[in-house]
Amino acid sequence: MTTTTLPTAPEAAPNATPSGPGKDAAAIRLSAAGLIRSEWIKLRSVRSTVWSYALLVVFSLGLAAIMSASLDLQGADVSMVPAANQATFVAQASTFGVFFGQLIVAVLGVLTISGEYSTGMIRSTLAAVPNRLPALWAKAAVLFVTTFLVGLVSTVGSYLVSSAVLSGKGLHAGLFDPAVLFPVLGGALYLGLIAVFALGIGTIVRSGAGGIAVVLGIVLLVPIVLQMIPAAWATSLLPYLVSNAGINMFGLMSFSQVPIEWWVDLLVVLGWLAAGLVGAAVLLKRRDA
Amino acid sequence: MIQAQSLTKRYGSKTAVDAVDFTVQPGKVTGLLGPNGAGKSTTMRMIVGLDRPSAGSVTVNGKHYREHAAPLREVGVLLDAKAVHTGRSARNHLLALAATHGIPAGRVDEVIELTGLGSVARKRVGGFSLGMGQRLGIAAALLGDPAVLILDEPVNGLDPEGVQWVRRLMRHLAAEGRTVLLSSHLMSEMALTADHLIMLGRGRVIADAPVADIIGGSGSNTVRVRSPQATRLATLLAQPDVTVTAGEQDTLDVTGISAVEIGEQAAAAGIVLHELTSIGASLEDAYMALTHNEVEYRTGGSAELQEAAR
Repeated sequence: MTTTTLPTAPEAAPNATPSGPGKDAAAIRLSAAGLIRSEWIKLRSVRSTVWSYALLVVFSLGLAAIMSASLDLQGADVSMVPAANQATFVAQASTFGVFFGQLIVAVLGVLTISGEYSTGMIRSTLAAVPNRLPALWAKAAVLFVTTFLVGLVSTVGSYLVSSAVLSGKGLHAGLFDPAVLFPVLGGALYLGLIAVFALGIGTIVRSGAGGIAVVLGIVLLVPIVLQMIPAAWATSLLPYLVSNAGINMFGLMSFSQVPIEWWVDLLVVLGWLAAGLVGAAVLLKRRDA
Repeated sequence: MIQAQSLTKRYGSKTAVDAVDFTVQPGKVTGLLGPNGAGKSTTMRMIVGLDRPSAGSVTVNGKHYREHAAPLREVGVLLDAKAVHTGRSARNHLLALAATHGIPAGRVDEVIELTGLGSVARKRVGGFSLGMGQRLGIAAALLGDPAVLILDEPVNGLDPEGVQWVRRLMRHLAAEGRTVLLSSHLMSEMALTADHLIMLGRGRVIADAPVADIIGGSGSNTVRVRSPQATRLATLLAQPDVTVTAGEQDTLDVTGISAVEIGEQAAAAGIVLHELTSIGASLEDAYMALTHNEVEYRTGGSAELQEAAR
């Protein structure tokens, strides 16, 4: 089917020469790579994304600077501090921003999908991808990779800021010291995962306000409430909350009396993420758009 | 080609679309006409898989919409001018849709020019007027150069020039052999644009026929005749199935007899005529007649309904 003389709108440029997609028609079809590209265009072309990521980096670097600068050694002989403890402190300063950053990327994760529901964009998306789930997977993949990379920029940047400040005070730790590298990578990984978890919740709830309330409730409120309950079962649940497991994973704080392996924490976070995404997938497939 | 078989959509206890069967043929503009709440939008949404039918099925070019490898090449759809993220520019919106199918950016710029959005393509959609939003929706529908176009109320919010453009565009696309289905509750618009009509009322098909047949079948063709001997003419024309209504200034409105017969009878009787005009029935008249019959013959098929309407 060719389109040679489609009527152009009155406002159309006089030299508009419509002629169909102009590419080998067989090459035009749905593909995973195309969906990834589409979701990347969507993510980068709204302001909330740019704002959220900028805020994440600025907050992280700022908190690292404040935490490092406020360290008062009270004239102690720094040369007596074991290297391992020095590395731990540098790592904590480098990843301190993740604690706040998780809230920013959680909101972003919800907005990524709730923005489509509130504006009606979701109907355009699902009409282009009628099987629906590939669109969700592409959205999750793009959000994860982008958030992980921006998270890495903020944790590595925080390391550079805090190590510069702390070395002035005599505390030293290299980026590739496992006690530093591991938290720096783990923090960025957690940010990527919590954003995707929030995407799942946002897809289930389909509303920005509702989705943000649910996600922040799970990330912030539930740990506080559980800590206030003076019962053994409440305490024993603490390590299995998504934010506690995530924070434990990159070593900022521990919520368990017995040390938990990092991969157990990672599995806990992945479990929450899977629950959110599976719920989102089932509802997305079943509901009318 | 779009084929619906016993297509049904229920929301709770309310049946929005009630076991409709229809075929939308390529090469012509088919209008989906009905009052608000008749099931037009729901039917269109089911065609492209946004709503899941409660029963029955609908196929596009022989397959369910979701089974096509390149849905945007099969169907271009404008369901709602507001199905766009308001924070994104028009061009980015189209680029994101195009990317899913690997449609090149050149095609995006082409549909932008075609729909006259060139000057606002890089502005955020949130500031668009209803008319510009409608143009963007049409641009998105044309993106994949689709064989089937489905447009829900495409002229909504457009200025007269824009309305004319959409009308020409629809006719042109149909002339290229594409299947064009558009909905409207504006009967005058349908009478001008569509070749074939599917009328919906309360979720059912109450007529499925060429526009001319539907208008012709409404049985309300009127002939206006003016004569200085109007009273004599009225007596002359009086027959059981002819209705003569006297108007002002020697005017008679006659139904049940053609203008030709009136002219011949008047000539034979030596009556002078000053005016003899056939006033065609409007689609509106036909629509009212059909919806009236829909109530009386709820279980009848559309063919019977047309007979009844004659």
